[in-house]
Amino acid sequence: MPEVFIDGKRYEYDEEKDEMLLQFIMDQGLEVPFFCYHPSMSIPANCRQCMVKVGTPVKDRETGEFELDEDGERKIRWFPKFQTSCSTRLQDGMVVLTQESSEEVARAQKDNLEFILINHPLDCPICDQAGECPLQIQTYKYGPEGSRFEVKKVHKPKHVDLGPRVTLDAERCINCTRCVRFTEEISETHQLTIVDRGDSNYPTTGPGETFDDPYSLNTVDICPVGALTSTDFRFKARVWEMNQTPSIDITNGKGCNVDLWTRDNEVLRITPRQNEEVNDYWMPDVGRTAYERFNENRVDRPSIKLDGDNQSNTSWNNAIETFAEILEAHDSSDITIIGSPHASVEENYVFNKFFNLLGTSNAKFTPHIIPGSGDGFLITDDQAPNTNGCRVINLDETDNDTIKATVSGAKVVIILSDDLIGREVLSSSDLNDSYTISFATNNTDTTKASDLVIPITCVAEHTASYVNVDGRIQRSYPAKETKYTNRRLNLEMSEGRLDRFGTNFDNWVSEENKVDCLPVWDFLNKLGDRLGLDFEYNHSREIFSELSDSLDILNDVSYERMDNEKGVQLPIKQEEVKA
Amino acid sequence: MAQDWKSFEPLLIPDIPNLEKIDVYEENGGYDALKEILNDQETWSRKSVVEEVKQANIRGRGGAGFNAGLKWSFMPDPDGGPRYLACNGDESEPGTFKDRKIFEYNPHLFIEGALIASYAMTVDTIYVYIRGEYLSWVEMLQDAVDDAYEKGYLGDDILGTDVSIDMELTYGAGAYICGEETAMLESLEGKRGYPRTKPPFPAQNGLWGRPTTINNIETLANVPLVINNGADWYGDIGAEEHPGPVLYGISGHVNRPGVYEYPTGVPVMDLINDVAGGIRGGKDLKAIIPGGSSTPPLRADQLDGVTMNSDSLKDVGSMMGTAGMVVMDEDTDMVEVLWRIAHFYSHESCGQCTPCRDGTGWLEKVLKKIKDGEGEMKDLDLLLDIGNQMEGRTICALADAAVWPVRHTINRFRDEFEERCKKSVHAVA
Amino acid sequence: MADLSFTEEELEEIERLKDKFPTAKAATLRVLWLAQNKYGHVKDEVQRLVAETLDLPKAHVHGVARFYTQYYKEEKGKFVLDVCTCLSCQLCGGYDILHHLEDELDIEAGETTDDGMFTINEVECLGACGYAPMLQVTNGVYVNNLTKEKVDKLIKNLRNGNMPEFESMAMPELEKRNQAASE
Repeated sequence: MPEVFIDGKRYEYDEEKDEMLLQFIMDQGLEVPFFCYHPSMSIPANCRQCMVKVGTPVKDRETGEFELDEDGERKIRWFPKFQTSCSTRLQDGMVVLTQESSEEVARAQKDNLEFILINHPLDCPICDQAGECPLQIQTYKYGPEGSRFEVKKVHKPKHVDLGPRVTLDAERCINCTRCVRFTEEISETHQLTIVDRGDSNYPTTGPGETFDDPYSLNTVDICPVGALTSTDFRFKARVWEMNQTPSIDITNGKGCNVDLWTRDNEVLRITPRQNEEVNDYWMPDVGRTAYERFNENRVDRPSIKLDGDNQSNTSWNNAIETFAEILEAHDSSDITIIGSPHASVEENYVFNKFFNLLGTSNAKFTPHIIPGSGDGFLITDDQAPNTNGCRVINLDETDNDTIKATVSGAKVVIILSDDLIGREVLSSSDLNDSYTISFATNNTDTTKASDLVIPITCVAEHTASYVNVDGRIQRSYPAKETKYTNRRLNLEMSEGRLDRFGTNFDNWVSEENKVDCLPVWDFLNKLGDRLGLDFEYNHSREIFSELSDSLDILNDVSYERMDNEKGVQLPIKQEEVKA
Repeated sequence: MAQDWKSFEPLLIPDIPNLEKIDVYEENGGYDALKEILNDQETWSRKSVVEEVKQANIRGRGGAGFNAGLKWSFMPDPDGGPRYLACNGDESEPGTFKDRKIFEYNPHLFIEGALIASYAMTVDTIYVYIRGEYLSWVEMLQDAVDDAYEKGYLGDDILGTDVSIDMELTYGAGAYICGEETAMLESLEGKRGYPRTKPPFPAQNGLWGRPTTINNIETLANVPLVINNGADWYGDIGAEEHPGPVLYGISGHVNRPGVYEYPTGVPVMDLINDVAGGIRGGKDLKAIIPGGSSTPPLRADQLDGVTMNSDSLKDVGSMMGTAGMVVMDEDTDMVEVLWRIAHFYSHESCGQCTPCRDGTGWLEKVLKKIKDGEGEMKDLDLLLDIGNQMEGRTICALADAAVWPVRHTINRFRDEFEERCKKSVHAVA
Repeated sequence: MADLSFTEEELEEIERLKDKFPTAKAATLRVLWLAQNKYGHVKDEVQRLVAETLDLPKAHVHGVARFYTQYYKEEKGKFVLDVCTCLSCQLCGGYDILHHLEDELDIEAGETTDDGMFTINEVECLGACGYAPMLQVTNGVYVNNLTKEKVDKLIKNLRNGNMPEFESMAMPELEKRNQAASE
């Protein structure tokens, strides 16, 4: 194995990988500061921050043996200049000194930071990037103690709406060109460029163009300073006030891995979580707006239609009682149950199983596909996160017309988390002749047309799994408390700084943002109790392990594996998507 | 060095009226070198042309002074795909105005040199990149290129052989950095002139990812001389380690500024006094910048016995650069001069690398402060420090070029800078 | 200026420029020049036309137009006087020439006269160091060895629509020898 020596320690490397020094250093868990480098994009080596000292051993030309000095150590020929580690290819025998072992290198990195900072506004107190800012962090770790810059800073455009979702502060920009490279190499919209020269340059769009790239917010994520900020998230929260919970994008079929950022049980933003098998470092802008549906327009407490079209909230006990009475009053053949590609594997499974126990036929579902809306990258024609999940657990896949026909003949229709009216599978008149019960996270046209609405947890509130368009099963974690969960008692929930140290007297803690809803299985437990069914699931983990035991395709799959392997690829054949 | 420089007969731009016309050029032995090579490819294999030029040690006239033949030898073996020669006519370094003379007076010598280079490196397309301000000279060169096509020196099956080479002229639009060879490649590809990181080097990965060699215009004009007369003959011209004829551009406070052709190694004082007619107004010499604004300035008292070749200039702490010498008389304000040079580099930094982007601007601002009478003594050391923090830490050499004049002007004229700071508004009475 | 377009002849010329290079992108600089020669500037709408004509991203064309200083990103006077003040020109009175022009035309460097006739720019080295001080008229002809008198004459001639002729700045020795030969 070829070898390199970093700060005096020997490391072996794989020649096949053709790796650059900086990436290799990071892969070893070591660190060299940098700004412009990004593992998924080209390497411009323009920030010059990752300078290290590099040498190669001297070989005897004739024998090919390493030449040795008096002490028997290999003679090293040092490069006359510092090398940017991001663009230095590993070489057998290479000797590298980073800031950890070389004063000169530490000094050179400090010098470079001094240059970066002279024209930077240093407005961290009002900058959204503060707390997650590579410039702030590297300056803290490696930067100069003060500034010798006593002349005027360059002024550039500030608070520019680059596009509908991204705001530019050109003075904060350090011209790493990550954003430009993103639009050229990743999203391929080519909407950004660098204009002007020298210390007056900054990124912007073409003349008369707006930065409406469907992936524009990724540039905010990769901007190593606060030059590009999310217009929506601007000035909403400090990073350290929020907690970060891994989850899955549920706005389409790709299942981009994301993080949900919450404060006081409100999801404030969604950012991509790296998974090279699914979305690498990226996600579409649309997926980021999903946080609104986690916070707003939620079904909060059960509601029931009493007279005419007026719905009013009711108690859980009354909801259960009403539900049970409806079920008891009807023959199971008069009950139609509709599962949902918008709900998780576990929800669909318990939903189907519960009513099957009562004698209903299998749940049907219709995929939610809008042909042509996908882009071949991270936006799919499939509008739902779990179409394949419904297939995995063998729900009856049908088309919209079949759903409509089935509903029209039913006396009771029970719908799991799918706005069938909103997405024009049904019209509200289709439900006029039946008693309709909706399990729903949000108020929709379908809940409005329902006689009984059961509020259930959304992806931000429960642990559940989803199978994406490529057949990868991935899971969510609870990020947001409901009326009935407690962050401190639920070991699955992450705790942010404020959660850990805040008290009830701190004004950021309120009960207002907790939705009065239950996981589907929890509600069904209670309904089962009332009906005397043998049905009890304390956690979605139990549901999943039952599934894993009963379905071959999920045989080796567990939450642990999904966690360790960032999701598990199921052997699913890509079926022709049905419109 | 030969002391007989005064009797030297110009070779690059010889004393022949209308030499820019192709007929006149041919009558005077023009394109003979190309003919000899193409008609006797057995003697003049591609490799042997490279060897001959390498042995002649034509040192790049664009400023870096690298052996041209050696540079050619870096080209990989042909793989059937396109290969390029990019000719650098972007001369923009303050003090430099020589290549335009070749376009105006002897364009075919350059074209012939470029053709020989292309043959030697199996290049199929030559791009000539000229600075956008030189539109008048682009037109002159275009006329010459058109004539060369007409006569069959350019295009398909040159002189009835199976060698085919095209030459395309194009021009920039105002950016000094495009004289940096990889920035020039970017500009040729229609982009902003951002120098590329090396490796990969242009010989491996140049224009549109293909093998490319970049040579200066004057460098290529030397090539036919070598083929016609041999490497040994060429090596005997001028200074031993830096041979050949050179176009000296002399500007500033001299009586007869202009471009002069002499061998390398002419004594600096002879160039000033004998060639350029001495200092204007009978004043004393204060300093020179020997080869374009990036080369460190030399005080008059440093010039004894110094000749215009790389070894001699290196000995006194400067460089040959482009041989564009700027002469300054006794009344010259070195603070103003240095500020103006710093202003130039700050204006021309492409903005890509941190140390150059922010460093050139900082240098300029501190120098302006000193020039405007608001400087402090500590600013002088700050300037040197900034320079040390920039040098050798960027993709291309623009930062270095900006630093050298600052460092050496302050060190060599420190009194003058201190004087200015002492008189400033910050001075304690 | 909503509907800018290139004429058939211009489009043919653009095709010819594209043929010089293996990619259309490489023609960006040349087509911007062509557009500037036509419209007198490459303001945003002209950049858009160039991008559309070459089928290139507008941001790319914008980045190029903003990088190179000879492209006019705003409307300029009929005559743009680019006065070099860099090094050799500085030493030989380039600033005096610049300030004289500013006084005569009653504008500052970077500005355009009210009648739209003249714009003055202070520019970096134009590669005419031996003929300092000098200026360039609208990216075209060089006017060398300037004196205040020569500048005044230039302004007068330009006002009358007379562009200066190209001055061949002979190599001094060549000139000397050629003179001797002709005598």
